[in-house]
Amino acid sequence: MEILRLEHIRKEYNQSELSVVALHDINLQVNEGEFLSIMGTSGSGKSTMLNILGCLDSPTSGSYYLDGEDVAKFKDEKLAEIRNKKIGFVFQSFNLLPKLSSLENVELPMVYAGVSKKIRHQKAMIALEKVGLGKRVKHKPNELSGGQRQRVAIARALVNAPSILMADEPTGNLDSRSTVEIMEIFQKLNDDGTTIVMVTHEPDVAQYTKRIALFKDGSIIKDEQVKNRTLAGGSAV
Amino acid sequence: MSLGECAKSAFRNVFSNKMRTFLTMLGIIIGISSVIAIVSIGNGSQAAIEKEFESFGTGSLTISLTGYNNIETRDLLTMDDYDMLKEIKGVRYVNPTYSGRNTYIKLLDPQETKSASVSGVTADAQYIDNPTMLYGRYISQNDVDMKTNVAVINDTTALKVFGYCNASILGEKIKLKTWKGTGKYTVIGIMENTNASTETAYSDEFPETVLLPISTAIRLYNNKNLSGFSVLIEDLEQTEMMKEKITVALEQFHKNEDKYYIQDSSEMVDSINSILSYVTLFISFVAGISLLVGGIGVMNIMMVTVTERTREIGIRKSIGAKNKDIKIQFMTEAVILTGMGGVAGLVLGVGFAVLIGHFAGITPVLSVGAVAMAVGISMGIGIIFGVTPANKAARLDPIEALRFE
Repeated sequence: MEILRLEHIRKEYNQSELSVVALHDINLQVNEGEFLSIMGTSGSGKSTMLNILGCLDSPTSGSYYLDGEDVAKFKDEKLAEIRNKKIGFVFQSFNLLPKLSSLENVELPMVYAGVSKKIRHQKAMIALEKVGLGKRVKHKPNELSGGQRQRVAIARALVNAPSILMADEPTGNLDSRSTVEIMEIFQKLNDDGTTIVMVTHEPDVAQYTKRIALFKDGSIIKDEQVKNRTLAGGSAV
Repeated sequence: MSLGECAKSAFRNVFSNKMRTFLTMLGIIIGISSVIAIVSIGNGSQAAIEKEFESFGTGSLTISLTGYNNIETRDLLTMDDYDMLKEIKGVRYVNPTYSGRNTYIKLLDPQETKSASVSGVTADAQYIDNPTMLYGRYISQNDVDMKTNVAVINDTTALKVFGYCNASILGEKIKLKTWKGTGKYTVIGIMENTNASTETAYSDEFPETVLLPISTAIRLYNNKNLSGFSVLIEDLEQTEMMKEKITVALEQFHKNEDKYYIQDSSEMVDSINSILSYVTLFISFVAGISLLVGGIGVMNIMMVTVTERTREIGIRKSIGAKNKDIKIQFMTEAVILTGMGGVAGLVLGVGFAVLIGHFAGITPVLSVGAVAMAVGISMGIGIIFGVTPANKAARLDPIEALRFE
């Protein structure tokens, strides 16, 4: 089943007189259960792509169907709602709120969704246990390791049961051991049915996913299934 | 995001930087505390003045000469006027205003001679001034008729002259010293000092109060001219008419015009209250400026806060916070900041009022309105000066905000 579909997506940035085209005529479809990595060098348009996919930005033209709805024309308030309910974000720099505990960070998306305190607490606990942090709920981000922080971020991204998980260089700030841990979690979530789109510039990391879309100068130049996929558990398939 | 969540998060942020919070609130604290202190002292003085005038008697008129510039001998008021005024229909009681000058009283405690304020009164004075008699009796018509050497003093004077204050003073004598020499007067009554609190504070400036029968006083000072009268009328509704009637009677009696001025007690209360309210208004204006400056300080700090927390705003937006959620969050912080300043100012202001009141002998009166005003104004300032920073935060682009280092 189709989760998202992009049709003729174009993104231009107007900087004074100069107009920069970040994305040319992008067409892309992601189905339920996919694990897609978007690759490319810096300036290739992959971050712009993720911002549009994550509804943080709107395309200049084209259509973006998310769960069958064209969200390309949505305004700020509606986009915020989409981000809250249908999209889970994982960032390179974790982006946790430093003054809140792990539990409170994970609860935050539900606060904006208007979930009651009791339910929030329960769901956040379940999400934290899912990423193996059930015993560190009271810790603040600065009391956790990089890998643990990213796991809190993943729990936060999952807690509203989104249609799709967006990850922007999720292992960029992590050592190799933590990288494997995080990719293991992603693979496990994907196995359980979570659709994931991940931006990375590291081929090693992309090898953990199922499909790679390669960006260059604002266009997709290659889109293919991963052969010899790395499994975080150990062996390749 | 519910308001409760907003408030919780706002408190967390406000308390995470205590020093900054305190300094930001300072302008509001100073503004609110001065308004509260001034208003409660003002209300307290007003209540005290009104009470004093109440004991003085409502419906009482004060007759005096308009001024001493073009007053001729025939215009002067004497006991003949007293006899005339008493006969006017609608007049209930009349008491002459007569004070002796340069009189001293011998004290026992401390042992010295102190200036005394000697007033000549008629028996009617007790119905106009409403003194509370502690021991003995007031001056009677018989005392006035017979020019007896009797005196009524108050409890404060009794303590200073005799060193104690009880019924055994009745029948004892006080010594009054004037240019004519020293005279002895038998104490027949002790009344309560209604200005006790004020007088204790300024004990050296207040002369001792001694009441003599008016006839005795006139004989003592050898001066039959009165400075005026207090008149209690029968019907309050008739105040204006009675003022007119008494003026005409006096003018006919003295065959003159425009020499007498009659004031009623409500007028006096009104004029004092209007002076007080001007003072209150002026100080409130100054405090208002402090609140304005405080508000600008709050706006400034909120602007800084928004910039500092740009990334947090980006994170919140990326996980689904709407513009209005961000706006409400920062507005709540501003309102909590100023609201806390308001409450702190309120507490401090009450403290100031009690302190000032203690030294000035005034009981400060804190009205519900003043409290509501303090809290309302301070929170209002938070709303007014919090809007701009909150809008700035709400309008941040999530991508830009997330990139902010």
